[in-house]
Amino acid sequence: MRKIKNAVILILLPMLCILASLMVGRYSMSLREIFDTLLLPAAADIEHYRVVWYLRLPRSVAAAMCGAALAVSGAAFQGVFRNPLVNSGLLGVSNGAGFGACVAIIFLGGGTFTYILSFAFAVLAVAMSWFAGRVSRVTTSVTLILGGVIVSSFFSALISVMKFMADPYSQLPSITFWFMGSFASVNYVHFYSFIPMTLGMLLIYLSRWRINVLSMGDREAAALGVDVKRYKFLIVGGATLATASAVCISGTIGWVGLVVPHIGRMIVGNNNVKLIPVSMSLGACFLTVMDILSRNLSTAELPIGILCALVGTPFFVYLLKKTKGGGWT
Amino acid sequence: MILEVRELSFSYGKSEALKNVSLGLSAGEILCVMGPNGSGKSTLIDSIMGIHKPASGSILLSGRELRSYSRQELARQASYVPQNHSVTFPYTVREAVMMGRTAYVSAFGEPPESDGVFAEDAMKRVGISELADKSYGGISGGELRLVLLARALCQGSPLMLMDEPTAHLDYRNELRFLETVRSLAIEDGKAVLISTHSPVHAFYFASRGVPTGAIFLKKGAVAARGEPDDIITAELLEEVYGVRARILESDGEKTVLLQNSL
Repeated sequence: MRKIKNAVILILLPMLCILASLMVGRYSMSLREIFDTLLLPAAADIEHYRVVWYLRLPRSVAAAMCGAALAVSGAAFQGVFRNPLVNSGLLGVSNGAGFGACVAIIFLGGGTFTYILSFAFAVLAVAMSWFAGRVSRVTTSVTLILGGVIVSSFFSALISVMKFMADPYSQLPSITFWFMGSFASVNYVHFYSFIPMTLGMLLIYLSRWRINVLSMGDREAAALGVDVKRYKFLIVGGATLATASAVCISGTIGWVGLVVPHIGRMIVGNNNVKLIPVSMSLGACFLTVMDILSRNLSTAELPIGILCALVGTPFFVYLLKKTKGGGWT
Repeated sequence: MILEVRELSFSYGKSEALKNVSLGLSAGEILCVMGPNGSGKSTLIDSIMGIHKPASGSILLSGRELRSYSRQELARQASYVPQNHSVTFPYTVREAVMMGRTAYVSAFGEPPESDGVFAEDAMKRVGISELADKSYGGISGGELRLVLLARALCQGSPLMLMDEPTAHLDYRNELRFLETVRSLAIEDGKAVLISTHSPVHAFYFASRGVPTGAIFLKKGAVAARGEPDDIITAELLEEVYGVRARILESDGEKTVLLQNSL
């Protein structure tokens, strides 16, 4: 009974945030108008219909999904790599995606190619890290992280090459804005990336007990009955799918994957059985709220990556003080 | 017989870590594996956990080839108390102990709430029930060792492997740990393979009614094997460790006195 209640709360919270996102904006709408437009789109005022269904709904849903994906991948990586300081960009996802986006913007004129290439290169970067980290047929956490660092810096160098080549008046600004992240141009076509994103989150959700056990270290996890290699592959693979499909929509928002899991840890503790679903819910709420702020704080839209860090940092420090470190001290 | 190791050899690359090691262990017995640093004690335990694939020889668990077990099946046969454990996430003691139930969890599941009784029993058995809701990162080294023992116990396996579990413990905690292990063998019929630096541990178990075996490794090979009283002699300690020592006896219990002979 308590479990069902908690699950309902975790699902309802992001939905409330999305609802708020539909109401707030330069064209302000009442709750009643929102419900009328959502439930009876055919009978709705055409302007209401456009604002809700074509502008606000796709971007707020995308923000919620990306937030959930980034946060849950971060939580999974922290557990599997036994390091509370990592986020899902650890194995080169962000830089890989960034390079893909650069290539698309410079050579293919951006658009849909930006999403496809950034997703493809994000997955490629993790695959490269995985193989770089394989030493004598085993992949240990340390060599995998080393592989990730090396592959990340490789792609970071390639990004610099791309920026150097880019046209400074048209392409370079596009690249810069892509890296700051934004949900401004989201439409329903981007919902295709929810398929790999959901699959990745599902893999992590299903493996959440094993994440607990893997955080005891490879040797002990094996002794406790976990097929370490298989579950690491599943979890890292899931996190990669989820993160890659998130950053290809939103640009690189690394902050969410590091800090939202920690906010979750302060609230429900470190048990991944609870932490994984809570991280999803919190991540979804967090990024949706940030997106609302990014649209409304100033006349020009603020990049969401900047807002996450600016607003999130004081909030995180507040929580840290309030919960007295959540057991870390 | 729960554990049977036959002529086991293993090497890391070119250096031979285990040479023709044979041993057997039945329910209710404690086997103390001793030998200097780097003599192959941990490698032996790793091999029995299936982490190392033996170069030759075989390991039988409950009469079945080790290789034929899946990871999860193996965890139901053998549990492990590590030598070092670094705490990364401050789980509660109860959560840490519950991880012992992983051997019974379906591929994408979690332990059912009813499994909580196994954790409660295990914590009670080793005497840490009052720590259940504390962070397992914030307790003493001796208590952490008992948490790891409770976690292994929670696995419900007939065989328990312990890799120098009393290293870093003070006198009282060492005694507490040994006493718990003794009662696990006598009352629960666990077969315990324990690697240790101290021959005194073997005497401790033997003089308190546990069928105790001792085995000394030197450079990966068995230097001596038998009952502690029979094989632990001054000559053996000199041969294996290169130290001079005297075996003293007081009230029917033996102990080792090291001589200044370096």
